[in-house]
Amino acid sequence: MTGLPLPLLCVAAILLAAGTVGYGFAAALVPRGRAWRAERLSWGFAAGLALLAGSVALAFSFHATPGWLSFLGLAAVVGLPARLFRLRDRATEPAEPTDGDRASAVLLAILLLGVALYALRALTEPMWANDYVAIWGFKGKTFFAERAIPDRLFRWLSLSFSHPEYPVGLPMLYAGIAFLLGRWDDHAMALLFPFLQVATLLALYGWLRRRGAGRPLALAAAALLSQFEPLYRAFTTGMAEVPLSFGVLLLGTALADRIERTDRGASRRLAFAALVCTATKNEGLYLIGAAFLVAALSALSRKGFAARTAALLALPAALVVAAHRLVRGSLPLRDFDFSLLSKPAVLLPRIAESIATAVARTPPAAWIGLAALGILVAAGRTTPGGVPLLALAVCGFAAYLFLPALAVEGPAWLVETAFFRTTAALAPLVTAGVAARLAGVVNREQ
Amino acid sequence: MAAAAVLLVLFLLQNRPGELRQRVVFLRHLASKELSVRRLAGSGTAMDRRYFVFLESARRRIPPGTRGVAIFLNPPTKPALYLASYALAPIPVVLAPRQVPPRWIAAVYGESPPAGWRVLATVPGGALLAPP
Repeated sequence: MTGLPLPLLCVAAILLAAGTVGYGFAAALVPRGRAWRAERLSWGFAAGLALLAGSVALAFSFHATPGWLSFLGLAAVVGLPARLFRLRDRATEPAEPTDGDRASAVLLAILLLGVALYALRALTEPMWANDYVAIWGFKGKTFFAERAIPDRLFRWLSLSFSHPEYPVGLPMLYAGIAFLLGRWDDHAMALLFPFLQVATLLALYGWLRRRGAGRPLALAAAALLSQFEPLYRAFTTGMAEVPLSFGVLLLGTALADRIERTDRGASRRLAFAALVCTATKNEGLYLIGAAFLVAALSALSRKGFAARTAALLALPAALVVAAHRLVRGSLPLRDFDFSLLSKPAVLLPRIAESIATAVARTPPAAWIGLAALGILVAAGRTTPGGVPLLALAVCGFAAYLFLPALAVEGPAWLVETAFFRTTAALAPLVTAGVAARLAGVVNREQ
Repeated sequence: MAAAAVLLVLFLLQNRPGELRQRVVFLRHLASKELSVRRLAGSGTAMDRRYFVFLESARRRIPPGTRGVAIFLNPPTKPALYLASYALAPIPVVLAPRQVPPRWIAAVYGESPPAGWRVLATVPGGALLAPP
């Protein structure tokens, strides 16, 4: 397997196999019916990837070598209860107006172009971004080659550049793909990222359609997102932003469904999304806290709602955190000085510096884009579906803007190295929230 | 509608035809080559492609049972450490330690080997050495 084509086909087959296994599991998360098909594909892909990463952790804990046996074994063990607890509800089909077919075709073409362009960017060369090489890929390659999680990753000062305090979900997934492939191929493995993009677009489109958006609007939202280069570019391929952006969209849509009690699967989806977000990135845990806050504020009048939602979000997150604690102990977030929180006189100028740097570094085209986004937000109307997503996005944005103030290396450094990349991961959430607002206007006009 | 169109135009303008053409050419020329050649030609090694040749050659010559590799180069930069750690993983790498730990070897890039160190292998751009 010297060239790219054959390993690429093998990775595609592995990802499709994971998606197929996950699709079966998703029967316990997503109701039946055509109205749910896009979302079921998306949740199924997330479930398949979670099972793949989980199979590596499981095999390691038994001192066994991960591979097809552990993956399919775990899939069978998890698949049986998923089958028993599958959702039997069937959603009503959304009406399919024939007008707008031409617009839909154009939008679909733009969407497919966006997917093709990202695939080209992601697959041009082996994954190369600094954070991939130093953190995510380094850990994944080490897990794969050692067939274990070596303690030194979390103990040696000389390896602190690999951020031992970060969750290991993505490196586990890389190792899982490599174990199924039988070798470490960091070029073919980049295919994971266009697959994640497609899964994100399916989740976005499916959720918007189910929540009443017409096909042209849902397609327009997905087409716009597919072309969002700050997220879907060569540089982010290999890092955790694209997986997190997918996980956070799942979290946001499940949260909105849970608040409105759209179906019996919303609670399960919320719990599963909490698991995915916590395992992907540290801010996943923060966003789960934000999701709880949004849920609690959205349903203050409903007795017992906040407690149940807290449990749904906190239990999976606690499970992931506990597993990490078990493997590596308690590790501080060394990039941040949280003692600054008790020193307002020092902290406030640093917050100002964060904001000033972010404003100064935002290019003119981005300001035009933000203005256009502002117009779209203003043109829409408040909808129950859109509010939680946008509230969650605002919480995420506020954190990304505030956190540099606590950075050990200084606010300007963190804004310049991470702010734009990390906030780009909120794009799917924002797109869904804005499109849900616009759907409210379109539906009223009709 | 106009705001959405502005966004779409902005996003489409991000696609520079020259860059996309370059990517297609890269893939066409290198897709059939082995993985290390594709990495060598890519962005991750652009800081010093000879350094990657050195690392990849060193990786293939590291004696079995080696506990770790101490890399010596001038200047010892963080990106050089990251690339070496990734390329040689799972073998641990440290950058220019004051003392090479027991059962580790040294990989010296672009410099003359220190006197008295035993040469294990000569690789392009440097050598693998056993400290005395």
